[in-house]
Amino acid sequence: MATAFQYVPAIPLLPFAAFLISLLVGYFAPRLLPKGGALPGIAATAGSLLLSVWAFLTVSDGQYYNETIYTWVAGDAMPFELTFGLLVDPLAAMMLVIVSLVAFLVHVFSLGYMNDEGETGLPRYYAGLGLFTFSMLAFVVADNLLMAFMFFELVGLCSYLLIGFWFREEGPPSAAKKAFLVTRFGDYFFLIGVVGIFATFGTAAFAGEGAFPVLAEHVLNPAAEGHANTFGFEPTTWFSILGLLVLGGVIGKSAQFPLHTWLPDAMEGPTPVSALIHAATMVAAGVYLVARMYGFYALLPTVLALIALTGAFTALFAASMGVVKDEIKQVLAYSTISQYGYIMLGLGVGGYIAGSFHLLTHAIFKALLFLGAGSVIIAMHHNENMWDMGGLKERMPVTYYTFLSGSLALAGIIPFAGFWSKDEVLYEALIYGMGTDGLTGTLLLVAYAMGLLAVFFTGFYTFRMVFLTFHGEPRTDTAREPHGVRWNVKGPLVVLGILAATVGLVNMGPVAHLTGSDSLLYLHHWLEHGVGAAQYEAYHHALNEFAGFHAADLSPIVPGAVSLALALAGAGLAHMLYNTASPTEHTEKLGAAKTLLYNNYYQDEFQVWLATGVTLPLARIADKFDQGVVDGVVNAVSSVSLFSGSRLKRVQDGVVTHYATMLTIGLVVLLVAFGLVGGWF
Amino acid sequence: MTSRPRLATEKLNPVQGLAAVALFIVLALVFVTVQFGPSTGFSPDAHITASIGYALFNLAGADVASEGMLAAFEIIDVVLVAALVGAVLLARRENTEPATDGGQDVGKGGED
Amino acid sequence: MAVSMQYYLLLSAAIFCIGVFGVLSRRNALVFLMSVELMLNAANINLVAFSYHWGNLTGQVFSLFTMALAAAEVAVGIGIILVLYRNFKGVDVTDATTMRW
Repeated sequence: MATAFQYVPAIPLLPFAAFLISLLVGYFAPRLLPKGGALPGIAATAGSLLLSVWAFLTVSDGQYYNETIYTWVAGDAMPFELTFGLLVDPLAAMMLVIVSLVAFLVHVFSLGYMNDEGETGLPRYYAGLGLFTFSMLAFVVADNLLMAFMFFELVGLCSYLLIGFWFREEGPPSAAKKAFLVTRFGDYFFLIGVVGIFATFGTAAFAGEGAFPVLAEHVLNPAAEGHANTFGFEPTTWFSILGLLVLGGVIGKSAQFPLHTWLPDAMEGPTPVSALIHAATMVAAGVYLVARMYGFYALLPTVLALIALTGAFTALFAASMGVVKDEIKQVLAYSTISQYGYIMLGLGVGGYIAGSFHLLTHAIFKALLFLGAGSVIIAMHHNENMWDMGGLKERMPVTYYTFLSGSLALAGIIPFAGFWSKDEVLYEALIYGMGTDGLTGTLLLVAYAMGLLAVFFTGFYTFRMVFLTFHGEPRTDTAREPHGVRWNVKGPLVVLGILAATVGLVNMGPVAHLTGSDSLLYLHHWLEHGVGAAQYEAYHHALNEFAGFHAADLSPIVPGAVSLALALAGAGLAHMLYNTASPTEHTEKLGAAKTLLYNNYYQDEFQVWLATGVTLPLARIADKFDQGVVDGVVNAVSSVSLFSGSRLKRVQDGVVTHYATMLTIGLVVLLVAFGLVGGWF
Repeated sequence: MTSRPRLATEKLNPVQGLAAVALFIVLALVFVTVQFGPSTGFSPDAHITASIGYALFNLAGADVASEGMLAAFEIIDVVLVAALVGAVLLARRENTEPATDGGQDVGKGGED
Repeated sequence: MAVSMQYYLLLSAAIFCIGVFGVLSRRNALVFLMSVELMLNAANINLVAFSYHWGNLTGQVFSLFTMALAAAEVAVGIGIILVLYRNFKGVDVTDATTMRW
């Protein structure tokens, strides 16, 4: 009986095959490709899903997989090896299932969103989806940082291709470029970090005996004999620098402040793309990387505090902007930025389990919300403005109830998934903030406060969205008679709706505390074991020993009740303001604050100014230096030669006797020289 | 070419004269400081011109020794012929018409 | 009393340098050729002097050959001056400066 691990390479390669089929057959023989390449994509992602589930079951038996598949630069020529390898441990197995499930459902949904709506250029679309799924799955099972970086970039490329799918209009190509450039800016720092890690440790493997987190811990541990090239810095300082560099790529990819500006614009792409890439998977790549490298980050308290603060600030910042948006996908985009802030907050305070749990639940309910929004958009003939909707509850019941399930999860209402995971994140922030001494502890508490405040905003904007879209009276004719949607749209919605309601059961913190039964914490136990030191036990130990993070002893009931109360308060306020037959635009009452929020705190304008007002003048100066000084030196050398040549040529004046004179003088000089050397005189 | 040559006093360039003088000084310095032994001259009753003739034709019987110069003699003969031909070639007028017109112009000769 | 060799060499050098002076500074082409002849004859003096020094007739025989060469060279030179005169309407060597920069 073959083990699941022999088939693990097939998990990313099946979607790659679907990419090739869609691309090549779609280009050379389009008629052979019914539905524009959807069927190979669906078959491939279904296959990946089955293999991922099989690998998941094998991992739950306790077997892990950490192998090098291919060495592309061997170790004898260089001080380190560059390899492709696969790492399948609990975290990776969980992520594989999530990614392949969401990819499969998005492919099925695309039949309804793209094929049934009569879109053209479908082979290009399904090829992009296939390439993206391949890159994301390969990223998830990557066993070293360089391979992870390569697939990190590749998912960024696929994001560019898919956002700009409708490239003949004005918006999508610009949004695609913006997404690519902003994430690329962060990835630049990531690349330097990868090179730095190779230079410091000689390896970039995530897990195993010689993995770099293990080596870093050996260096910091006075008892163990660890050596790493820290370039003259203190080890902790240098490792913090490396961690911050890699964090640059994470911040870009996971749309945290300040590199969050690309995600709202990325909504120009088709909604299934937004669901797959910009909600559940690609933006998850950044935080997944932090979780993957957690053994390294757990040693660095400053970096962890920074992650927590960034995440919490982003959560609050984005939630405040989501309150005033009019288009349904924009609200969801800011919600995504905000929720990834929560995951970063969870990881930053030392709550590895909480962060991973929120990653899992968020993938489910955000994909659900985006697909629901897609269903609404199909019904409204691609009009996204919520003020043109209303009353869709009676006309689209399946969409409504699944969307409601997702919204309850997003707002964090018990017993839906989002409550358990968000509450866990905030609880971890509180106990580590209270239990850790000094400035770090205070910072963690500040982060907790920001995250708690964001819960109120989250509840508010989520239910504002639900009430404006589905409740009340229809405000336009299209809302009165919406376009129908078929099984290929409703099916994925139902699957995800059920999951959004139930997946929180895997780690119900407060219930486990109340009943005293630890076994309810399935996710905690799942992530406790892994390959070598890549598991929660070791991370917890590292957090205590090296980062100085300690958890205070506090019951999770009261913090959970507080966050639930805030979420209900936000939902209640939205109910009061918007759950009427004809809601009005209450956000106008905020006045100048609304302008600020609506213009996204002018972050986009700021970034454009950074490019035109700062970078461009610097580039001009550098160009002047290059052309004036560097080229000038080269040109001066050549002009010396030209000038001297133009002067010297005048010697040749055509008068033969002058030539004879020069001959004679030359002869005299030679004779004198030979005479002096040879001793004639 | 009908005026006698005059010294070009208006365009006199001292460099050229100095070059020649410098060459003389260098040569003179070298020659004066050389040590020669006594010269072996010719015996007073040797027939020098006859010996030159013998040497030119590689014949034996010379009074004074010499190298054979027959090959050089022949070659210099060829060189002289070549120089002659070259001089004549250079001196030719390029656009000469034939000296006689082959009887085309009938009325010219009988005027006299 | 035999004349020592240095004097012959000095004489030859002097005549040679007078010839060089003529080549460098005379503008008339025919006088230029005469100066070249002077240089050739200086070489001849040198040859004959050394022939007496070594008691060997090679030098004298060879000087006959150089004289013949000098004659040949003058013949061709006069031809060239003729062509020069045709093209430049004079025999001033400083007039013919078309092969310049």
